[in-house]
Amino acid sequence: MNTPAIKELLYKIGDDQLILGHRNSEWTGLGPILEEDIAFCSMAQDKIGQSLAIFSILHELGEPDPDTNAFLRDAKLFKNCQYVEMPIGEFDFSIVRHFLFDNAEAIRFKHLTDSSFIPLANLSKKIKGELKYHTMHANTWIKRLGNGSKESIDRVQKALNDSWTMALGMFEVSPYEAELIQEKIFVGEKVIMQEWYESISATIEGTELSLPDLYSSKPMLGGRQGLHTESLIKLLDEMSEVIRLDPEAEW
Amino acid sequence: MNSLDPRINRLSEKGQITSEEKKKSLDQLETYEVFLQKREGQPFRHEGIVHAPDEELAWIFAKEQFSRRQTCTGLWIAKTENIMVSELTENEESVYDLYEEKYCGEGNKYAIFHMLKRGKQHVYAGTVLANDESSAISCAKAQFSDEQVFNIWVVKEENLLISSEEDKDMWLTVPEKTFREAYAYKASDKIKEYKKRNA
Repeated sequence: MNTPAIKELLYKIGDDQLILGHRNSEWTGLGPILEEDIAFCSMAQDKIGQSLAIFSILHELGEPDPDTNAFLRDAKLFKNCQYVEMPIGEFDFSIVRHFLFDNAEAIRFKHLTDSSFIPLANLSKKIKGELKYHTMHANTWIKRLGNGSKESIDRVQKALNDSWTMALGMFEVSPYEAELIQEKIFVGEKVIMQEWYESISATIEGTELSLPDLYSSKPMLGGRQGLHTESLIKLLDEMSEVIRLDPEAEW
Repeated sequence: MNSLDPRINRLSEKGQITSEEKKKSLDQLETYEVFLQKREGQPFRHEGIVHAPDEELAWIFAKEQFSRRQTCTGLWIAKTENIMVSELTENEESVYDLYEEKYCGEGNKYAIFHMLKRGKQHVYAGTVLANDESSAISCAKAQFSDEQVFNIWVVKEENLLISSEEDKDMWLTVPEKTFREAYAYKASDKIKEYKKRNA
């Protein structure tokens, strides 16, 4: 078993989910309407739950226990893409990020159901339904807002344009990419990105919105190698406030 | 009259017309009724209402609003105004007593929901073929009236948004999400321990 390659893959998936889950949970109590507040935060909770499952697999591979790993790791060791660490902004930015990220995530896990690394294949099968709801939620909102008023169309379009280079950073390749593909652990970022573009295009086509060209801009890279923005440092400080005050605290 | 209380002094003042304006419409979304099936084989039951801009988002909202914490195998949505509500009966009277029994086998599909106890949620009884809501109740009388029913809701089936069979996997992991339940954090035990320690 190619443990270093698998660990690297798990860290990037788990960190994306943990960080975006935490970010999206910041909408708790602030959602545009009560129903959306509940749905959005509930999905944020799902993401953190899924990251716990990933960190548990990592723990079995000899990494620290999930809480220590999530809360007490240095920012430089986080492998999430920079897109997920960006502040929530306004709802337009957050809903577009949810749309772009969750569609990629669902495709990633769809392929991982065939992974030769069985624990990850099993987890992917298990959370299929959760991810289905998340993308359904995102696509339904984009369809609605993308066919709504001039304001909603303009705002979602702007959020799409502003997000684009960051979103492409989700597909930053791993140093182990070739091995992961060859050993059938993971199909590789190139395939995911291509399918993702087709998938989000299908939703966007039914709206007044347009997608930037896939290769028009340079992706914002570095997150997968531990390069992060100030936003991640602040987020981790906030996330680990309790455990740093009282490492023995149970909650 | 001069009082120390300014409210008394204002009593003799006459009101003045400043402007007249229309009452503004409220900034509210439409409402949709939500029906849930908790377990395979159980009837769909009215669970509550969500605000939403359209039927599809109503389904999306209802899913987390009403089934994020409990087992669920299906979800139906109907726009509030698409539900026809019968009379409400009391005591020994069943609402079906007010209708003539009719056997029918053609027309549109209408879903029938029964209120079996006053104050309880409506439960799906079955679907009938009829030409309108009122005759749907007459047809339902022939088929589903063995129990006392206090109130009936009728929804034309084409106005029901029904979750698909393959979407049932969306609820598979719900029972495992104990982190959504207060009891999982054993808060009261912890408070008790804390009090004991600090007694």
